[in-house]
Amino acid sequence: MIHSSFRLLTAAALTALAMASSVKAEELPAPEGTVLLTISGDIENTNGDGIAEFDIDMLRAIGETEITTETIWTPGTKVFKGVPLSTLLEYVGADGENIDATAINDYSITIPMSDAVPTGPIIAYEMDGELMSRRDKGPLWVIYPFSSSSEYRTEVIYSRSIWQLDRLAIK
Amino acid sequence: MLAILFMSFEIVDELRFLSSANSDNVHWTLSQAEVEFLEFQNAVDRARMADDPPPNLDEVIIEFDVFYSRLATLGTGLLYSPLREWSQFRTPLLDARERLENMIPLIDGPRTELAAALPDMATELTEIRPLIRKMATTGLEFFAFESDASRTSVAVTLSRVALLTIGLLMALAALLFHARRVTRKSQDRERELAASNARLHTIVGTSLDGVIVSDLDGKIIDFSPSAEKIFQRSAEDVKGKRLGEIIVPEYRRAEHEENLRRLRETGNHEMLRKGRLKLDSLRADGEIFPTEYSVAKASAGDEDLLVVFLRDISHRVAAENELVQARDRALAGEKAKAEFLAMMTHEIRTPLNGVLGNLSLLEDTKLSLPQSRYVRNMKISGELLMRHVNDVLDIARFESGADTAQEQAVHIGHMIQDIVDSQVSNAQSRGNVLQWGWTGEPAGWLRLDASRLQQVLLNLIGNAIKFTRDGRVTIEAELQREGGGLALELRVIDTGAGIPEADQKRIFEDFQTVERAVGESIGGTGLGLGIVRRFVRAMKGEIGVESDPGEGSVFWLRLPVTAADDMRPALASEIEPEAADDRQLDILLAEDNDINLELAREVLERMGQTVTTARNGQQAVDAAAKRHFDLILMDIRMPVLDGLAATREIRAGDGPCRETPIVAFSANVLPEARDRFAAAGMSDFLGKPLQTTELRQVIARLSKKHRAMAPAAEPVPAPAPAPDPVAVQPTPAPAPTPAPQAAAEHDRDSVIALLGRRHLEETEELFDWLAACPDDLGAVADRAHKIAGSAAAFGQQRLRDALVALEKAAETGDPDAVAPAISRARAAWETAPAPCVG
Repeated sequence: MIHSSFRLLTAAALTALAMASSVKAEELPAPEGTVLLTISGDIENTNGDGIAEFDIDMLRAIGETEITTETIWTPGTKVFKGVPLSTLLEYVGADGENIDATAINDYSITIPMSDAVPTGPIIAYEMDGELMSRRDKGPLWVIYPFSSSSEYRTEVIYSRSIWQLDRLAIK
Repeated sequence: MLAILFMSFEIVDELRFLSSANSDNVHWTLSQAEVEFLEFQNAVDRARMADDPPPNLDEVIIEFDVFYSRLATLGTGLLYSPLREWSQFRTPLLDARERLENMIPLIDGPRTELAAALPDMATELTEIRPLIRKMATTGLEFFAFESDASRTSVAVTLSRVALLTIGLLMALAALLFHARRVTRKSQDRERELAASNARLHTIVGTSLDGVIVSDLDGKIIDFSPSAEKIFQRSAEDVKGKRLGEIIVPEYRRAEHEENLRRLRETGNHEMLRKGRLKLDSLRADGEIFPTEYSVAKASAGDEDLLVVFLRDISHRVAAENELVQARDRALAGEKAKAEFLAMMTHEIRTPLNGVLGNLSLLEDTKLSLPQSRYVRNMKISGELLMRHVNDVLDIARFESGADTAQEQAVHIGHMIQDIVDSQVSNAQSRGNVLQWGWTGEPAGWLRLDASRLQQVLLNLIGNAIKFTRDGRVTIEAELQREGGGLALELRVIDTGAGIPEADQKRIFEDFQTVERAVGESIGGTGLGLGIVRRFVRAMKGEIGVESDPGEGSVFWLRLPVTAADDMRPALASEIEPEAADDRQLDILLAEDNDINLELAREVLERMGQTVTTARNGQQAVDAAAKRHFDLILMDIRMPVLDGLAATREIRAGDGPCRETPIVAFSANVLPEARDRFAAAGMSDFLGKPLQTTELRQVIARLSKKHRAMAPAAEPVPAPAPAPDPVAVQPTPAPAPTPAPQAAAEHDRDSVIALLGRRHLEETEELFDWLAACPDDLGAVADRAHKIAGSAAAFGQQRLRDALVALEKAAETGDPDAVAPAISRARAAWETAPAPCVG
């Protein structure tokens, strides 16, 4: 309970921050390479028709972080590199309660905005120093720091760890 | 508890396992694999069916990648490793993955080739499909099994939880029970404590002793009601104040504080070990009074306390003081009484001696038959009276402490023999046989208080003879070994009347006599056995009696003694006192009164002694300086130089008589007087008038002592040969027949008559001279004194007393007092009996 209310507070604070920092909608740079991720829904900053599209370089530019963790789907400990979800959402000026994340094959789950804390999940694009291919759960994979807390080792969190991600919709 | 703790950990662990899901929705994954396979197959089919090339190969590639990724996940994911253990799952998975791997070159290759290969791919996919199906069904089967196991595991866990809960409940119950018991116990203890506190409070509150509690600094914490009463202070006022200021008198305060300081520093003090102490205390009104108290240290928690119990003993001390004073007064009274008794007895003895002396002399004169009988009767009565007086005197001297035990070495056999000898005639006079003997080994020289033992034995033997007629008196002596020491037991056995048992105890008390029914008068003060018992006790011995009335009595006494073998050679001559009696002594007699002088010379010469006379002290000193005498008899009161001064002079000089025994010759027999005589250097004492027996005793005693003191010098020119020590051993001593009486050939009568006439003449002359009222009062005193001495010797007691009074009156120098004294003396002279000396 404490955690969830804390998360709510954090989310609210971040939202307020985002609103404050982007009173006026910004035009994001357009992607130059292959588009890996498209964000739609309640976002302030776009680079298309109400959407924000990202290639790998754009994602790297927003901010990189690493999570070293085991996963139930891979053998051994892996080092994942990617952009924190919270940073990404702030970057696009997301304003909503949930994020609908959808994979290439249209597999879709809902991540509450409250999950997007600085030490929380990242949108990973590298595993053990290599870009992940589509054939190996790439190009993007939502990774929670499973090893850091048992809070992250529940079925709900496992179900939110969507791989072959290519779309986010803020609602 | 440990088991429960361990179990709890285990269960919590298990629950954590349940809560952190290790399995994603595996069913979903498996069905998803199937779905993605179908998507891939559809994409291939659609691309193949498309009529308008180029077919949509992108879709085929994406769906391949998605499916490939899914199989890779199944092939490597941790989550599926248990599933992969199953060959039914592993085999189709490996097969399917291998087939996909084989497709990769086509997928990644040029699109035209991929397009061309689509039909083959479709065929391949129809072969892969049953594999995927197989995987899905196997997975379902596995997870059904797994979930069964998991359910069981949960059930087990839950039952363990239940068990744990039961265990916990039981533990709780036990804990509750224990807690209640502890609570009850502590409640009980609290009640007990309260009760004992109340009791203690009551005890302290009602105790007659004051109880004061203070801390180690002396600050008063508690002050009991009795303490309030004793110190006249209220507890409220003194609490918190210092002990020293409240109850300790100022002069003792510094010492008190020092005691407290030492107690604080060392935690101990001799005060605590001393028990009851007596010290002064201070009352509120400043009165200092004696208290008795004790101090104890107690611990209350971590604080040390002093508990002082005290009691006001001023009443007791006052009572004690009163008792001590009363005792002192009583003792002083006793002593005064004893002294008075002694003095009175002396006073009685002096005239009695006069009577007896004159009777002795009278016996030797020519008397008619009835007269001799009267004289003998008088003499018996007089001697009896003398014995009683001596008895009383003995006790008085003993009680006043003048008499002290004097141990000396004696030959016990000879001593008993002497006593027996002296009593033989007495025994014969009552038709008794007197004998003595040893039981067991005879003893020789022993160290004991001979004079007392002699007196004791004389008394016992005298009694035995007195109470026995025509019977037998036997003395048994026995030397016993007791522990490490020796004891002498003497038994005086008679065949007399015996003593009823009821009387046996009281006969040793003072003034106790046994009534005789036989009408036979046996006089006595009842002091004899009282003296005996005193003497025996003084010698640390014991005495007792056994008696059967009609059969006789046994008086026994037992004395601790020590052997005195080493004394034998030095005292060999002592064993035969009779030998000394036979010696002819050269005696110097100093006496200013002519009549007394002549009387004494008469007695001495009759004993066979050589007598030289001196008329005053100076003449005596001169005579003693010229030659040696064996004995000097010295009157005390003499003109020119009195007897004491003369004695001192003789002793101080280095004349031939320096060591000669000098015997005081006086009518004054008070103990103090005797002490004075001894201090002047006199050796012994003789009462006036001279008694032959006493004189004999003194001579015997002194010549013995004198020889014992200087046995080697032996300056006595004794005509009689010294007795041979060997010859005098235990030979039976001759009967102690007084030699003078037996050999009274001397013409005494003429001498005495002559002296008597001379006394009459002198007295006549004195009164004629006095009638002329002489002015020289000094001469009156001297002449009165001189005639008084003769009057005493001739039995004219009243004349003597009147002349002594005259002498004293003349000495005061008051003529008015002299005149009536002269007329009284004349009256006494006119009524005085004819001089009789015997």
